[in-house]
This record gives sequence, C-alpha cells and structure tokens, in this order.
Amino acid sequence: MRFEYQKAQKPKENSVQTGVGTSPLDLKTIGKAIPCQEACPAKTNVPGYIEHIARGEHDAAYRINLEDNVFPGVLGRICTRVCEDECRHNWTNVEGPVQICHLKRYAADHIANTQTPLAPHFGPSGKKVTIVGAGPAGLTAARELNRLGHQVTVLEKEPLPGGMLVDGIPAFRLPRDIVAAEIALIQDGGVTIQTGCAVGASEMSILIEENDAVIVATGTTLSNQTTIDGVGDDETQRFTGLDFMKRYNRGELPALSGNVVVVGGGFTAVDCARAARRLVSADSAVSIVYRRTEASMAADKNEFKAMREEDVAVRTLLSPKRWKTDGSRGILVCERNVVKAGDTRRKPAIETLNESEVEIPCDVLILAIGQRSDPRILPNGIELDGIRTSKENLFATGDFEGTSADVITAVASGKKTAQVVDTHLMGQTRYVEGVRVETTDCDGETGRFRDHDIQWALPMPMLDVVGRFENQAEVETGFTPEIAQVAATRCYLCQYKFEIDQDLCIHCDWCIQAAPRECIKKAAQIYCDDDGFPTKVFEAELSKDTTFIYIDNQDCIRCGKCLRVCPTQAISMKRLSRIGCVKLDS
Amino acid sequence: MPKKLTFTRRSEDEDIKAAGLFLDFDEMAKKGAMQADDSSIAKWYGIYKSRQPGNHMARIVIPGGVITSAQAKNIAGIAEKYGQGIVNVTTRQALQFHWLKVGNLADMLRELGEYGNSTKHGCGDVTRNVTACPLAETCAYRRLDARAAAVEMAEFLGMCRDLDDLPRKFKINFSGCGADCAQPHINCVGLSGVIHNGVPGYKVVIGGGMGWKPFVAESLFGFVPHNKVKQVCRAVAILFREHGDRFNRAKSRLKFVVHRKGIDFCRTEVISNLHTENVSSDDIIVEPVTDEGVPFSLRPLLDDSPQGTDGQHTVRVIVPKGELSFSTFYRMAELSERYANQRVYTSNRQNLQFQGVAPSDVKALESEIRALGYQTSGSFTLSDIVSCVGTTYCPKAVTQTRALFDIVQRVVGEPRYESIAQSGVINITGCPNSCSPYRIADIGFRGMRIREESGSVEGYEVLLGGSQTAFGQKLGEFKLSDCEEMLRLVLNAFVAVRISDEFLTDCVNRVGLGYFEKAVYGEI
Ligand code: SF4
Ligand code: SF4
Ligand code: SF4
Repeated sequence: MRFEYQKAQKPKENSVQTGVGTSPLDLKTIGKAIPCQEACPAKTNVPGYIEHIARGEHDAAYRINLEDNVFPGVLGRICTRVCEDECRHNWTNVEGPVQICHLKRYAADHIANTQTPLAPHFGPSGKKVTIVGAGPAGLTAARELNRLGHQVTVLEKEPLPGGMLVDGIPAFRLPRDIVAAEIALIQDGGVTIQTGCAVGASEMSILIEENDAVIVATGTTLSNQTTIDGVGDDETQRFTGLDFMKRYNRGELPALSGNVVVVGGGFTAVDCARAARRLVSADSAVSIVYRRTEASMAADKNEFKAMREEDVAVRTLLSPKRWKTDGSRGILVCERNVVKAGDTRRKPAIETLNESEVEIPCDVLILAIGQRSDPRILPNGIELDGIRTSKENLFATGDFEGTSADVITAVASGKKTAQVVDTHLMGQTRYVEGVRVETTDCDGETGRFRDHDIQWALPMPMLDVVGRFENQAEVETGFTPEIAQVAATRCYLCQYKFEIDQDLCIHCDWCIQAAPRECIKKAAQIYCDDDGFPTKVFEAELSKDTTFIYIDNQDCIRCGKCLRVCPTQAISMKRLSRIGCVKLDS
Repeated sequence: MPKKLTFTRRSEDEDIKAAGLFLDFDEMAKKGAMQADDSSIAKWYGIYKSRQPGNHMARIVIPGGVITSAQAKNIAGIAEKYGQGIVNVTTRQALQFHWLKVGNLADMLRELGEYGNSTKHGCGDVTRNVTACPLAETCAYRRLDARAAAVEMAEFLGMCRDLDDLPRKFKINFSGCGADCAQPHINCVGLSGVIHNGVPGYKVVIGGGMGWKPFVAESLFGFVPHNKVKQVCRAVAILFREHGDRFNRAKSRLKFVVHRKGIDFCRTEVISNLHTENVSSDDIIVEPVTDEGVPFSLRPLLDDSPQGTDGQHTVRVIVPKGELSFSTFYRMAELSERYANQRVYTSNRQNLQFQGVAPSDVKALESEIRALGYQTSGSFTLSDIVSCVGTTYCPKAVTQTRALFDIVQRVVGEPRYESIAQSGVINITGCPNSCSPYRIADIGFRGMRIREESGSVEGYEVLLGGSQTAFGQKLGEFKLSDCEEMLRLVLNAFVAVRISDEFLTDCVNRVGLGYFEKAVYGEI
C-alpha cells in the first residue's frame, strides 16, 4: 500500500484502556501516578478519600480508608505519615504536603454513627484460623481472613484487645473509644476475640494441631536494655518504655516526684515523656535524651510543638553514661556525640566525644530504646522465616515477623499475611492486586483549579496547654469543617492521570505552551523496562528529533490545561484506583 | 507575586482581563519589552506575539473589507517603515503587518490613526472584523448591500463598551444573498440577505466555527428585517457574554454555547435580550421564509472581472499566500485612484479587488495588474489557494504551509488539470485552528507532524469534499514529501470520473470517498 508509514511504537502505561488491569505495568504506573498511595505501606487510596472529603462525603471517605488501612480513626491520629513525605504537593512554593493524616481523622470523626463491616470477598471456606495477639497486625489479618471466608479466632493475653494501640499509645493521643469502635467493627464482621488468654509454646503446639492455620501476632514485648552505671533496680525510679506506658495507660502509675529523663528517640520515648509530664509536678523537669539529632527522631512537627508547649526538653546528641546523686537530687551524666562527618542518612552514624560530660537532673529514668519480639512462644524446633515458619500451617505477622515498626506497617503486614495464609488454606492464589482504569469525560476538570493549589496549610487545632493535662484529654482536637475544606482541596487528586494518544498527537506543542510546569516533554526516545513501564525519557530539542510528546506524570499537577488546549483531543484524563482484591478465575 | 485567591472558576486569561483592558504602548516602548500579561491585553489593540521572540503582528480591522486609497497608501507606508515592507491579507478581510518591534508599536498605532486605520479589536475577546461577501453592493444576486451593513455593524458593536469582555472572540459576517459567499455557516453569526414580503432582511444562523471542534451554524431566525439586525447581533453577543465558558477557553466560543444549551434556549435568550432593551421581536420570524429575490448560483461568481448591477466591473487581484510588498500595495492604491472608485477591497480568499471599474478601463487595469506580476483571473478556482502564514510567523502553526502552497500551486497549474481548474478550491492551514478553513474546501490540508521510527516530519491531514454545510471527509495523513504525489493521484482520479463541469466536492459526494482512497493508496 502506498503512503503506509513506519512509526515508533507508542509507550503504554496500562495494560487495559478501561477496566481492571493486574499486570506489573499497571501497578508501576499507579505507583508513579499516586506517590502518597505508593508510599503508604498499606497502599491507602489517599486521593480517593480526599476527593470525597472535599465533596463533604465523609462516610464514603471513611469506607475507602476502612478497606485500605483497617483503622482509619486510629491511624488518622497516630500514623507515621510516610505518605506525606512523598506527597506531590510538596513544591517549595505551595506550603508543603497535603495533610493526609489529619484528613483521614476528619472523615473518621464525621461519619454516621452506625458503620457496617465490609462485605466479604468470598463465601465460607470451612477453614479454621487462630491468631495469637490482638494488636493491629493480628486484627488486620483476622479481618481479612474473615472476609476471605475463613473462621477466625483471636487470642489476646491482655484484658483488652488492641495491643500497642491500648498499651503503648497514650489516650491523650488516641482516645480509647476510637480504638474500641474500630475493633468492634471487626468483631461485627464475624471475628471472635478472646481476651485474657495467654499462649505459650505448649498451648501453641495444640493450636497448630487444632487449626488449619495459626498466626503469631504477638508483636515486640521485650524491651531493649542497656546498663548505665549507678542505676539501681528501684522500681519507682527506673522503667522501660514499654512497661511505663502500659502502666500509665492502665492508670497504675502513681504521681512521680523529681525530674524525669527518657532515653530514646522513637515514638515510645516521646509518649513516655509526655505521659511523665502528666504525672510530675510543674516544677519538675522532663527531658528526652537522644543520641542523634532531632531529624532522626520519630516525632513529627506537631509532636515537637506539643512537647515544646508541654515543657518537655529534647536534648540531642547525648548518650547516657552514668547516674549519680548530688545530695537529694539525681543526676544523669551524659557524653556528647557528633554526627559522623559526611553521613547524610536519616539515621547517621555518630561518634562519642571524649571528656565532654553533660549533667542532666534525673530522678526517674525511663529507657525507651527499642523493643523486640519474644521467640519463646514458638514450640521447640520451629524456625521463623518471614511470614512463614518451618511448620507449614504456622505463620507470623506484624512486628513479630519483622522488626519493631509502626502501626501502618503492622496493618500492611497483616494484609500480606492474610493473603499468604489464604493461598495456603485454599491451595491456590485466589486474588491479586489490580488497578481500575476509568475514562473521564469532563474536559480534564478534576473539580479544582489553580487557586486551590496555593492555599496555605492550616495547622491542626490543639487544646490549650492550660487544662490539657486533665483526664487524658485528647490534645489534638481535629480539623474544623473549614480547615478540612482547605486541606482537602489542596490535594492535586493524583488518581487522575493525563496521557497523550500518540496516534492523535500532531506535535503542535500547544499543550507544552499551556502547561504550568515542565510536565510535558518532547521525547526523542522513551525507554521502557521489561514490564513495558517507561523508565527513561530522552528529551529532544528540535521538532524533527521529537518522536513523542510525553506527559511525565511525575511532574503533572493535574491542572487539565493541556487537555483543554489540545486541538486534536489527543489528551485524555484517566482515573486510576488500586483494588486490593481482584478475584482470579480458578 | 502572591496571587489573590478568588476560587472563581475562570481561566488565567480571565484573571488578566479582570485586571483591566488597558495598555500604554508609549510606556512599553520606553521599557522596551512586553510583559506576559500585557501581551494578552495587547490583543484588544490588535497586536499579537509572533513566532519569532521579540516580534509582533498587528492586524488592521477592515469592516466589510473596504478601505480608501489614502488609507491603503498609509498602510503601505507603515509596512515599509515598521513591518519589513510586507502586507498580508487575511481570510477575514483584514490586513496584517509582521516583524513589528515593541518600541515602534505606539508610533505605528498613532500613524495608522491619522488616516482612520485602526487595529483596535483586531484580536481579543471582542467582536472581530465584520466581513462581507466579495461582490456585495454590486452583485446581481444581492438582496441588500452587505458591505454597508458590515461597516455599520462594526461601528455599532464597536461602541458597545459592555461587549468589550466577551468569553472569547465573536465573529459576524454578511452575505448579500443565500449563495453565502461570506461563509455564514462557519462564523459565530452569519447573516444572509433575503427578501420577505417585499422587505429586505436577513436569515440569521449562529454557532458555526472551525477550529479543533467544528460546528455548522444553526438557524436562529428565518427572517430579521434589515433595520433590526444590529440589535439582534447585540442580543446574540449578550447571550454569548452571559453563557460562554470563561474557564475553558478551548470551549468558550459561541458554537459551544449553542451546542451545549441548544438553539431553542439561545433563541429564547436572544428574544428576551431584545425585549430587555425594548426592541420588539414582532417582525422577526423564526421559521425559514420564502426568499423573493432573483435566483442565485450556489458557488461564488467565477467570471473574470464581473460586471456589477451598476454597470461597472470588479477586477480581482489573486494574491498568492495573501502577501504583498509595501510598494505593490501602494501601487494598488494608485491603480484604484486611476481606474476604479478610489477604494481597495479585500476578500475572504486573501485577495484584493477593485470596484467601480468602467468597462472601458477593465483591460488596461488588468494589464497593469499583470505587469505587477499578479493574475486577475482564477478567483475561487483550484489555483486560488488559501494558506495561512504557517510557521513563517504564527506561533501556533505546526507546518510551513507556504512550502506546500508552492507544491500545490505547481501541480494544479499543470496543463493536464486545465479542464478542472474551476472545479473547486484548496485551503491549507498550518494547525487545527483553521485560519484557512480547510474543512470547507474541496481539498483541505491541515498541518501536523507525523511520527517516524525516530523523530517526526511535517505532514498534512487531507480532507476531500468539504463545503460550508458539510465538512470534508478524511482521506488520510501524508508526509509533506508525499503530498505532491497524493495530490496528483486525487486530481487524476477526479479527472477520470468527472461529469461535465462538476465540482470536486459534488464528485466526492457522488462516487464516495472510497473511490479516492483506492486511487491514492492503490489496491489494498
Ligand atoms: S497531592 Fe494528593 S494524591 Fe497527590 S501525592 Fe499529595 S496527597 Fe497524594
Ligand atoms: S494536567 Fe497537563 S498541563 Fe496540567 S500539569 Fe498535568 S500534564 Fe501539565
Ligand atoms: S496539544 Fe495535543 S496534539 Fe498538540 S502536542 Fe500536545 S498532545 Fe499533541
């Protein structure tokens, strides 16, 4: 045929034009399109729920969260917010990331009172699963396995389910009714929780016999220790972080007297310090002593602010060396550290300076320097191997299988474990993750425009310091509807993805001229990895070298201008959403 | 600069407009540069940025396409002084200068003004140049004088300060009869002369347009008496002002209002706008009326130098690419003084014409024109190719249309195509904006780039069989280097099946596009 032209193959970004794709390409594309969701260990559909919040649809927003991260009300308060670090709305001129976490809480605070459990994925399988430990990971695995049709029982040795949610985190950060409601929702779905039920290695052996699968979800219960010269065994003066928080949370601690020092830089350290502040008199000093700098601490901006307001001193680059008394007052003698030159990691190596002692008043010492799991629950001869163990029907999840991490990581682990266990129980993989691709027909309008991008991030309202210490009142009071509206409309809604149909594009460059950023590139070549995912774009200077006009989703702020100026309707706006459970046909 | 947040759903252009439609070109000359926001507002003054950074284009508004010889001489002088000696004729009967420098704009505007020439509202979101059909006041078929009406309309709407900030441009044209030589169907408002019950007036269609999403205009009124047409157009402009999309500029034009809201809604609005301004709509007829004038032909008059009803002739100058040197343009003004009615006319095929030429002067004028190197015959024929300026000046263009112009001109000029010379027109546009309306031509070319294994080359989307009321059908996309061969294949195929003096478009409709596809691509 005359005039038949050879053209470079066009890069693909999804395996399907519309519908559900489950190829690695689909997952990579959505990962690039929605960085916050990709960063979230549990792959929470952040823009999906933020879009609902912006429209005032709190229940819908809550249900998305419920699906993805299981404990929206909880995580909306205490999540470590790795998503916000990756948020696209982080250019220097737009006031930092979207307040994803606070918005999650806002939706959870504004739902209708009655929530029903999520619908099951599969009908009853007749399989029996017992999970030991009712912390976030165990409860997540329980809920998921229950939705997959299995009969699930959770055994908890403490009087209340929730694990670290009730024994670790203080109520002034996480009110207990929130935890209880979200656990109740899991029970409503059909999960049985038995509390006060300690399990040791021998009970474990029986459970392994009696169940189709058993999951250890006992978390990290042993505190790391260090010896500091001069510190005695006096139980009113010396605590581990875990123990201190557990007793604080149960109201078992008396008022403390004297100055308090918490050693450590993790979440527990900060919680201990703030809890201690609520147990000492106003003239006592409460300090955190940490060996690295503030930048390496787990606490976020709000927590530092709260500590400042509550008069908790944060003393960094110090390592405790010995404890002594000076008359009636105790003193912790520390040595100074310096960050090793040139180490730019988040947790850099440090070196101790000799002859550099610093004295900090310290009558009560709390060591919150980490915790680890207790392997004694495993019957003799059984070895841990990630989620699996050397025993075919015994699995592990959460902190027990990994290292001590945050709640969202535990949730992610619980979900992952549930899938592995389901495959074991059913003898086949029944579902995979996928991406729903939808076309839109709205001229590239996501419902927001440029003014929304440049709103200021408003701070989380907090209780006045005066009166804050009464009754374990929650310090952060939550977004008002006005603040939530601002916060929600700042999000670019990255689930909307703009792409150019290379067969329609005539290289007019109008989109490039209209674009607010360098989001659209003239590409000489686009290289893809084995999954077909574009990994490198070689840019062209001249029209003759331009093979493709290419939208780089990394730099796209979803303004839709390109779509609206394109004279050939080559640009379309897709809507991507990640689906956790795409059923496979057997 | 911190931006004020308004949360109004409007485009950035609207924000700029809201800041004020005023520019001080003298100050700008002192500063020596035009700011980004200024260049948006400069459009209201008829000034546009060129493809070449630092250069500008100015568009002189010529309502009805007529200027006096003195005005023409003034324009020639300005072109020499500021515009590198070049004058361009546009398809909307305006004239353009290119290569203007910021420092000269103020002086240029002043000097133009001395002769009543103006670039005001040459571009921008306003009523643009009001155009008229080519023969207008002298045409044998005319129901009324379209040119005079166009001039009056331009004056009237130009004075309506409340129509200075429309959502987008607003185009009106007048045809003296239903032959519709002024192309009413591709304009925002198209008016065609009719006589009803002995009263001259207009049939009014609205919402046509080319561009990336073309629409054929729909009938608003079957009959509007001639003395009410200004108010009706104003009422349409108000409809547009109130309902045009101010967020998405690509969908702002009146055609989208008509498409979105429907013609009935628009009609009701227009009537109510009339009533608000105390204009009665009693003598306006919605349904089509029977036209009482003399019968007309459906294609424009192809005769060379046709004689008008006044006994005088119209002599045409085919201006290739619509471009003339300042000295030629000056000479045209002189010729109009010597042989014609001391006026120079522009046409919507980027040509010039003289009117009021005495029968005895026709030959002399024609030979004077030929002596300047221009043809006087062939208007509205295959060789009367209309091409936009393309990448030569236009920042929006994708292709160098003039290169294709040369190819097409050479091909259609070959002796073997003499027999089909009058069988249609060819339009070439460098981008989908369609400054040269390629969809309504018998053969239409639209610039694009075609991707190769690596890189891309210039090419064209080619449409066959377009007309004002039914757009051309896509034959395919061709690299520039293939256009010559493709065009020959199309014309050969046409020659082979043409019945008597059939137009190409009629032939495409008769034998079907498939026939031409086979001829071009070969048997598949
Ligand atoms: S802008 Fe919204 S969707 Fe995009 S990364 Fe940030 S929170 Fe996620
Ligand atoms: S929508 Fe288009 S113009 Fe806007 S940021 Fe994304 S790629 Fe750029
Ligand atoms: S505006 Fe459309 S046709 Fe033009 S380069 Fe961009 S995608 Fe291609």
